[in-house]
Amino acid sequence: MKKLATFALMTFLATSAFAHSRVDTTMPENGAVITEAPTEISFNFAADIRLTRVDMLHQDDPSVQLDLGDQTSFGRVFTLPLEGMGVGTYRIEWRGLGSDGHAMQGEFSFTVE
Amino acid sequence: MPDIWGIAAIFAKLMLYIGIAGSTGLVIIRLSFPYLVSPLSDRIRIQAVVLAGFAIAAAVFGFMLRGAALTGGADGMTDPEMLGLLWQTPVGDVLVYRVAGAALLIAGMFIPRFGTWVSLAGGTIALWSFAKIGHVPDLQQAGVRLLLLLHLLGIAFWIGILGPLRNLSRQSEHLDKAALLGHRFGRAAAVIVPVLILAGLLMAWQLLGDLGALVSTGYGQALLIKLVLVGVVLTLAAANKFRFVPAMQAGDSKAAQHLARSIEIETAVILLVLAATATLTSVLTLPN
Repeated sequence: MKKLATFALMTFLATSAFAHSRVDTTMPENGAVITEAPTEISFNFAADIRLTRVDMLHQDDPSVQLDLGDQTSFGRVFTLPLEGMGVGTYRIEWRGLGSDGHAMQGEFSFTVE
Repeated sequence: MPDIWGIAAIFAKLMLYIGIAGSTGLVIIRLSFPYLVSPLSDRIRIQAVVLAGFAIAAAVFGFMLRGAALTGGADGMTDPEMLGLLWQTPVGDVLVYRVAGAALLIAGMFIPRFGTWVSLAGGTIALWSFAKIGHVPDLQQAGVRLLLLLHLLGIAFWIGILGPLRNLSRQSEHLDKAALLGHRFGRAAAVIVPVLILAGLLMAWQLLGDLGALVSTGYGQALLIKLVLVGVVLTLAAANKFRFVPAMQAGDSKAAQHLARSIEIETAVILLVLAATATLTSVLTLPN
């Protein structure tokens, strides 16, 4: 029985269909390679969402929480100011709440050369 | 792979299922077979109250965990802004249904005469919460919601019989009652189980769209695991109904021990079924 339980649990947890992330497009685009760090980033979602937290990770630097400003209501387009940290790969991790109550999360990255 | 908050959400959901289905099930059994379970009356009442209390704690904990999922840290569990946000969505509505329903169930247990009916109303309100949020209401079809409620009531009935039937089977002075309870439940199950399966398959069809998604998506695979486990439960239940219960009715006391053991294994597999369901409803997205 224990083996069966462990097997079942492992199978569930190994499943990769997690998330309710329905981000349509981002600026910069996911995987983009650009020559200068952008001064802002933007999200365009497929459905209404209330962003709750956005973090920027640059190389090995500690992560920086981005300021949502007054964008604290449900919407589809969000633009956040970004303080560039020079060349390297930037990863943006976001979390939010769908209007149906679903927690959503996702990430995208871009590289400044 | 879900993050730590996703995994915690699965466990909170599992606790919620156990609490609500377990307590409501005991209420249904008390109403359906009052004479047969009368030797366990006090025990059933205490168990129902404890399970409903468990459901309230799991509902509140699950709500707080959703706050954590919004910030990505434990701070979200008590962040008034995050919890306030959630409160305005259907997540807040179902918290009210679950807490109020379970509280009503507990209150009913202390009201003489018609109190068990009050408890049943409370349990049904709590079960209805599952039709208010998640993948099924996303389908926007009232019929499917009712189907889900029917499915849940059937499951609660099944889960509710496990404890009392096992306990009676273990008491030699009540073997006749245990045998009759097993027989009557088996007769009811012959009607309820096909409806339960049909409702489950109809909902799965509505949610998945086609059979291919059953193997090609994470949601389908988890559903497949659930179905296999349900198959195991049905096999055990068939052994109880066609072998152990008739033997008990014929006065075989050893069959009662086998039945009690079989119910224990059945309970463990049902817990796995609930865990599979909690995974399906907590962290897996439907195939589009």
